[in-house]
Amino acid sequence: MTIFQIISALFALFMMYVVTIHGKKKNLSKPEVWAWNSVWIGFIVIALFPHLLLGVTGLLNFARVFDLLIVVAFMILSVVVFMSYFTVKTLQKKLEEAIRNEAIATGKKNAHGKK
Amino acid sequence: MKQSNTQLPKNVWIVMPGFNEAAYLRTVLKKVKSHTNNIIFIDDGSTDDTAEQAKQELTHVLRHKVNLGKGAALKTGCEYAFNSLGADVVILMDSDDQHNPAELPRFLEALTKTKSEVVFGARRVDAQMPFFKRFFNKMASYSIHLLFGGTIIPDIPSGYKAFTKKAYSKIKWNSLGYQVEMEIACRVTKQALPFTSITIDTIYHDHDKGMTVLNTLDLFHSILWWRITL
Repeated sequence: MTIFQIISALFALFMMYVVTIHGKKKNLSKPEVWAWNSVWIGFIVIALFPHLLLGVTGLLNFARVFDLLIVVAFMILSVVVFMSYFTVKTLQKKLEEAIRNEAIATGKKNAHGKK
Repeated sequence: MKQSNTQLPKNVWIVMPGFNEAAYLRTVLKKVKSHTNNIIFIDDGSTDDTAEQAKQELTHVLRHKVNLGKGAALKTGCEYAFNSLGADVVILMDSDDQHNPAELPRFLEALTKTKSEVVFGARRVDAQMPFFKRFFNKMASYSIHLLFGGTIIPDIPSGYKAFTKKAYSKIKWNSLGYQVEMEIACRVTKQALPFTSITIDTIYHDHDKGMTVLNTLDLFHSILWWRITL
């Protein structure tokens, strides 16, 4: 076992701890906690037993398992960033609208009261 | 410069956004009130007593609970003016005492005489204007002219401008922050709206918040983005 594998497994364990904390704080629902924990357990298994992926690596013409993992990691990261971007955009728009509508409604009420 | 207390018509509303402007606000509002009582002040989530100061002087004070930025505040003010108060023309002006309210009637005059839909107030370029501002203003005008065509709009970052309800429906902006002036200029050029500009005097203060180099870079990035998306 290499030092890199140990660090990867420890990192995944830390991330499972983070997931559990967010689960306890109700930031993540039970299915979300299960889904994320499954991802990190899968990460640990692949980090400790990379030969399990040798078949897939050969099928996709990757020279090393590491190369396959990098490509998959980038794909996952891209999806997460893309989804986060749109979520933030949508939230920003909703927040802006809510604040502006509230300002107009209160302004109208106050102006009516002053007249 | 012509200094007069000409009263503005009832269908013209002044939209003034402000963020933490408590120190100068009442002085500015009193000056504007000598020309019209049709003033809408939008407090953009100030942490001082800006809103309370405005309420002492005005009937129409809107308050963003959270600071959204100048663009959002202007949009709130314009929506309120056009949709709730039945305005036909809106004049935007800053609330930091940099704009001379005596020039308000000139905007209206320019709108009616030139049959324009938009009037840009362009600050006089003289030694009083800091070098960086002069350089940036020229760059902004030429960039928009280069990317969108049309006539060159002078002093785009100036916040003193007027437009009709019809123009507003065509230039309704998405920018929340300081990019709003640029977006308005881009949209006016893109929509080929008839516009004119008038030279205005500007009073430079020590409390002028100004822009950072990063803001400037962000603005030029936004212009390129609008060239693709508008």
